[in-house]
Amino acid sequence: MKLLENKQKTSIIHKLFFFLILLTFVFPLLSQERFRKSPPYPDPLNELNLPKVESAPLSNGLNVTVARRENLPLISLQLVILAGESSSPENLPGLATFTANMISRGAVNLSSSKIEEILESIGGNFSTSTFLDYSLFTFTFLEEYLDEALEVLSKMILQPTFLKREIVNEKRNMFYSLREKGREPEFVARRQLFKLLFQNHSYQNAAYTEEVFRNISQEDIFAYYDKYYRPNIASVVLVGNLNLRIAIRKVSHYLNTWKRKELDRRFIPLPAPSSKEKICLVDLPQAKDSTIYLGNIIFPRNNQDYFPFIVLNQVLGGTTGSRLFMNLRESKGYAYFAFSEVEFFRSCGIFMLKAKVRPEVTYFSVRESLKEIEGIIKEEVSSFEVEQAKSYLIGNFPFKIDTFENSCYRISEAVAFQLPNDYWNNYYENIMLINAEKVFEVAQKYPLLTPVVIIVGDKEKIMEHLGEFEEVEIYNSKGELQYKQIKGVDK
Amino acid sequence: MLFLKLMDRLKQYSYLVAVKSLLILLLILLPFPLISSTQDQNQKDFPFPVSHFKLKNGLQVILSEDNSLPLVSVVIAYNVGSINELQGKAGLAYLLENLMFQGSSNVGRMQHISYINRIGGEWNAATTEDKTVYYQTVPSNQLALVFWLESDRMKNLEITESNVHRTKNSIIEEVQHRRATDPHLESFFAFDRLIFPDFAHSHPVIGNEKEINDIAVEDVKNFYSTFYVPNNAVLCVVGNVDGERAEELIRKYFETIPEGKVASSVPVQKSFDKKSASETLKDTLASIPGFHLGYRIAPPYSRDYYTLKILEYVLLRGKSSRLYKRLYKRERLVYDFSAGIEKRKDLAIFKLFALCNNEIMVDISLRAVLSEINKLKSTLVSEKELTKSKNMFKMDYIKQFETSLEKALFLSDTFLSHGTLDVLPLELNKYLNVEARDIISVVNRYFNSDNRILLTIKIK
Repeated sequence: MKLLENKQKTSIIHKLFFFLILLTFVFPLLSQERFRKSPPYPDPLNELNLPKVESAPLSNGLNVTVARRENLPLISLQLVILAGESSSPENLPGLATFTANMISRGAVNLSSSKIEEILESIGGNFSTSTFLDYSLFTFTFLEEYLDEALEVLSKMILQPTFLKREIVNEKRNMFYSLREKGREPEFVARRQLFKLLFQNHSYQNAAYTEEVFRNISQEDIFAYYDKYYRPNIASVVLVGNLNLRIAIRKVSHYLNTWKRKELDRRFIPLPAPSSKEKICLVDLPQAKDSTIYLGNIIFPRNNQDYFPFIVLNQVLGGTTGSRLFMNLRESKGYAYFAFSEVEFFRSCGIFMLKAKVRPEVTYFSVRESLKEIEGIIKEEVSSFEVEQAKSYLIGNFPFKIDTFENSCYRISEAVAFQLPNDYWNNYYENIMLINAEKVFEVAQKYPLLTPVVIIVGDKEKIMEHLGEFEEVEIYNSKGELQYKQIKGVDK
Repeated sequence: MLFLKLMDRLKQYSYLVAVKSLLILLLILLPFPLISSTQDQNQKDFPFPVSHFKLKNGLQVILSEDNSLPLVSVVIAYNVGSINELQGKAGLAYLLENLMFQGSSNVGRMQHISYINRIGGEWNAATTEDKTVYYQTVPSNQLALVFWLESDRMKNLEITESNVHRTKNSIIEEVQHRRATDPHLESFFAFDRLIFPDFAHSHPVIGNEKEINDIAVEDVKNFYSTFYVPNNAVLCVVGNVDGERAEELIRKYFETIPEGKVASSVPVQKSFDKKSASETLKDTLASIPGFHLGYRIAPPYSRDYYTLKILEYVLLRGKSSRLYKRLYKRERLVYDFSAGIEKRKDLAIFKLFALCNNEIMVDISLRAVLSEINKLKSTLVSEKELTKSKNMFKMDYIKQFETSLEKALFLSDTFLSHGTLDVLPLELNKYLNVEARDIISVVNRYFNSDNRILLTIKIK
């Protein structure tokens, strides 16, 4: 009230007020325009601090590995058996996968539905995956039920029943799921690539079709189980709020009666890479597009070329900003997608390109893909591209270990490929050391330009667009060779 | 952009709400203390540290530090969804979600995506009936970049004739694609119209070709300026960031965005009347017969709701659940089924969709479902079965904050649903304290023939 009486004072205050407004609103607005114009610089990169991975063996040879994560009251457990699809007998491909899938289908005094009930009673989730070199049982549950979890796991692994009734059920399951997958061009292409790259090698087992299960008998399963489900080629990996001492005590309590058995394992030599470009068409009637998978054999997982090569892969086809995508999709408009990737095993790795294109540009897409590979071999890639690729790989890595199961999986992978326990801790450093020169060097080393090329699509739509290839092998959707076409003529 | 796929996933943990209009609620509940540290109370029950404050322009900010990995997730949830659309403009909310990637004052078309991709980050967006969420996870040293991108499109989106036109076309393509590839889509839409009481709740988020075509640039501009304002949004940041640094950046990028006018919300139904219906749909696309069965249940986060959620686990979550065993394993009555509780703002329903090999099996399955429900009206669920269901629930609940992104989505959902995070420390126990007799009483209260909606799908 006083203020109102004194006009002079009011006007000063008005002026002051005006000035204040200017100060608080207008000036920031002016400067605001500037910082909104362009993207800000990043802060310094934060360190990757992964939990320490510790391990120790039990007396029966079972390896126990632990990484502590405290933030959630759950535990992820993986049992790794160092025998995968490549251990299936030659005449029974699919046996390793089938046996692994049978593990949760019944144990002594436990029916499969009783097992399901026990698993769910502890908030658990149990799943199985079989790779070429190892099989993986993944089990996540509430941490207060560690004992119950190990008890049911031990019954499943040590006392499986493999009942005939359950075998029939699982056969039906796998038959239908594989038949379903056999309609997906990506699945068919990958299967065919494996089949042709791994000729005369046990890795070819992985290319089985739904027909193989009918040959598997209960005796086969017991024999496979007896040979490979042994503690001396197995590891239990645990991620959760526990330490190695507790883990050893608990795991030992439930799994120390598991009997070891030495097995005579032959070394699986590196399969020979394809030395000549080979074009194969897999006929998948009704398929709308051409799905192209082309690739060749490279080095195994545990190898010093790993880091330069994944940077190379990133530059070439790791993301939508990479060369392949920019060329085949953005510039030429051939493809819905075009990427490259690497997949590693114990004996070797595979480098492959994947693209889905319009049928009429199938030939050109294969040519352009090879041209992009050639580009990376003939000319050193720019440092800018290398730095982009590195920043992507570094930025994206934490996603690969974000959940309990994911971090468990990374550790199991290291176990399976005999990588050191602290392997992932050095990921950032290992990527940062890569430069254009190292990428160029590694590009020369492997036969990337003589791949096996798989084209999956409707023969009726694609065939007329393949005339430019010297020679094309035609397969049916099951992957069986039908005939060859040379220079556009059937042979 | 197939955001709808993710939308479906997001729906599973959509946490909306027993609030009236959130806009009004925010005004009543606020002012919050400028910085309220929610973790003080019941710290031991609170699964992770959280702080919350509000900017001068009304933007709600939630921060949670988590240093396990060098990542940070940023979620912006706008309190708007298809419920806010007017009749004749269905699909507007989803259209706008797509437009948000078409460029703003300083960010070019689709640049938002390539900025995030380039640094190895991941992004997406989702529209539901009651919210629109934008989210990204990036290396934590790139936090400012995300704020720069998100604030630019909150402040000044490029809504031009050509952008709108292009986006409309791509959505119409998506609608047509979904209709062509999902033979049961129309039956889902028809069932929603039967069970939800009004247009606002029942029309599909994706809209339809005609109404999408009818949306004018002016409509989009109005929708944007009404709902895409700081005081209608929650910004949630979770990850390896220093709280002070994050707050400083948030103020820099977001605080000068002007507050919007509070929208007068479209009047929508806030509760259900009792209703029963039984209709038949002769579907031209469907090749397999089946049925949709639904009950109108208690509103989200009401007392009965917690019991209903545990009941959902007893009945149909997991391979050892009652309906899974009866319909799928033991009697092989159905070819496929999906079921659960669905929330849309203030309303919740319990629904089940089943496909059967033939029409006789449809009848048998339906009777089997009803008999399982009836059993629960008079017989107590055993302690063992109840514990199993609660443990499965608990695992799902905990997994909602396993990664920084899930945590950020969980927190922003919780805030949109409750208008506060104070409910969090006690929330899990509300589910875990459910008793067997509570289940008997909710089944008797909601699962009755006078409250049952049935839509049978016959093949032509």
